[in-house]
Amino acid sequence: MVRVMVVDDHPMWRDAVERDLQAAGHDVVAVASNGREAMARFPASAPQVVVLDLQLPDNTGVQVTSMMLEHDPTARVLILSASGEQGDVLEAIKAGATGYLVKSASSAELVDAVTRVAEGEAVFTPGLAGLVLGEFRRIADGPPDDPRDQLTERETEILKMVATGMSYKQIASRLVLSHRTVQNHVQNTLRKLQMNNRVQLTRWAIEHGLDTEGE
Amino acid sequence: MRVVVTINMVGLNAYRRDTFQHPTLGLAVVLALVAWTAAAIWLYHDRARRTSLLLVADLAIAVAAMALTPLVKTPDFNATIPGFWVMGALLAWAIHWHWKGGLVAAIALSVTDLLPRSDLDQGNYGNVFLVLIGGPIVGYMCESLQRMARERDAAERAAAAAEERTRLARAVHDGVLQVLTMTQRRGAAAGGEWADLGRLAGEQERSLRSLIRQQDTLPTAAEGRVDLAGALEAMATAHPVRVDVATPGGALLVDAHVATETVAAVRACLDNVLAHVGPEASAWVLAQAAPDAITISVRDDGPGIASGRLEQAEAEGRLGVVSSIRGRIEELGGTATMESGSWGTEWELTVPLA
Repeated sequence: MVRVMVVDDHPMWRDAVERDLQAAGHDVVAVASNGREAMARFPASAPQVVVLDLQLPDNTGVQVTSMMLEHDPTARVLILSASGEQGDVLEAIKAGATGYLVKSASSAELVDAVTRVAEGEAVFTPGLAGLVLGEFRRIADGPPDDPRDQLTERETEILKMVATGMSYKQIASRLVLSHRTVQNHVQNTLRKLQMNNRVQLTRWAIEHGLDTEGE
Repeated sequence: MRVVVTINMVGLNAYRRDTFQHPTLGLAVVLALVAWTAAAIWLYHDRARRTSLLLVADLAIAVAAMALTPLVKTPDFNATIPGFWVMGALLAWAIHWHWKGGLVAAIALSVTDLLPRSDLDQGNYGNVFLVLIGGPIVGYMCESLQRMARERDAAERAAAAAEERTRLARAVHDGVLQVLTMTQRRGAAAGGEWADLGRLAGEQERSLRSLIRQQDTLPTAAEGRVDLAGALEAMATAHPVRVDVATPGGALLVDAHVATETVAAVRACLDNVLAHVGPEASAWVLAQAAPDAITISVRDDGPGIASGRLEQAEAEGRLGVVSSIRGRIEELGGTATMESGSWGTEWELTVPLA
């Protein structure tokens, strides 16, 4: 059983997700319809997984993600979005979200994703894998003194397979690796992405003289 | 600026006061000009007070001050009393009525300056020439500047309106997507006819989603270059096989010819999927861009191609689709490779960017 919070501005949708999760034996500890409500209810309900729609009326999806994880780093955020792979999905993942699912995913896929995200496993769609590959490609093509981490050849190879819709099981058998190893590689790409984001934020802060705060 | 030319005028006239035949009258003219300068600065300050009457009065005073010069000084004077002070009125006309105003004011001032002079020397001629050239040019420049400012304002308004429309469209699209997705999910759960309805909703949802993505990258397309990511999306949406397109985000600008041929090759891959796996097949297209090449991967979830079958087909001369894929890509100087296994069949098309 996973303690879940559902954040979505469409009541119809929120109810459906809630019902699906409850039917699968999960505990929906809180719901919210915008970023402000979500932040107000998050600390008291202490969910393990937050199922978050990025298209909130107050446009705070990415911000809510980073605020929640700052408040409780053990919480996991699963982005659920209707509009498909947009730039803000990548931003939310960089801000620390662990998974991403399009809303057209079936109930079973959603329940499975919540379970996997609760265990800290990364959940990617092919579209998001393509965006992540693009992001690392841009880093690789950028200036050579960039301190940000790049993907290893293996990680790129695996991410490419995720981007062409292959399951971890299929990837494992194609590359003759264990399922666990594939999972770790995907996990690593996510970790690097989030680490790079922090490096970039820190660099930005130093360049703008924000690191002297508190002196 | 009026203040500067007024100080200049007062200073020069004080310096040359011994050339005045009637110093009292001269002093009166200078004082009147100073007073008018102060009044003009105040009057011009408010747009509502900037009437034609004010401009005519401004020029008339300048002309009058010049015309009075021969009376105050000797008829064969050297410099007019106002001197460069007339610039104020000239520029006001140029700013307000553009090059025509500048020209009229310049002619009025020049004629007034030249008429009473007994002889015309190089300096007088130079001043008149500059005034005649300068007036219309300043007027013309003002006109251009004002037009540019208007155009910029219009462009800014248009951009703001477009942005607002995009924002509204996004909200509407999001709502529509939610409902389509919901119909798809509920339909699948209910089964029967509802499942068909759900499947249709799913198709619409995918088309709308890809349309939104294509639109997001639209404005970046430049002359002669097209967005390959958008073109792939458009083609894949229309294809009977269910296709998921993954792109690096943003537009993938390539030459129109490269885009057309690459899209055609990818379509041939998908046609191949339809022919060999069937309409129930799923396919994925991944576009990646390096500075020197683009790579497109196309994978299907079919049973794969048994080893040796391709060679056999080639020997029998039945390789229409495959050669069409290879042919198009090799024409662009790229390579097309195919891999197959239990996980399906994957084409990798690499096209160099010149």
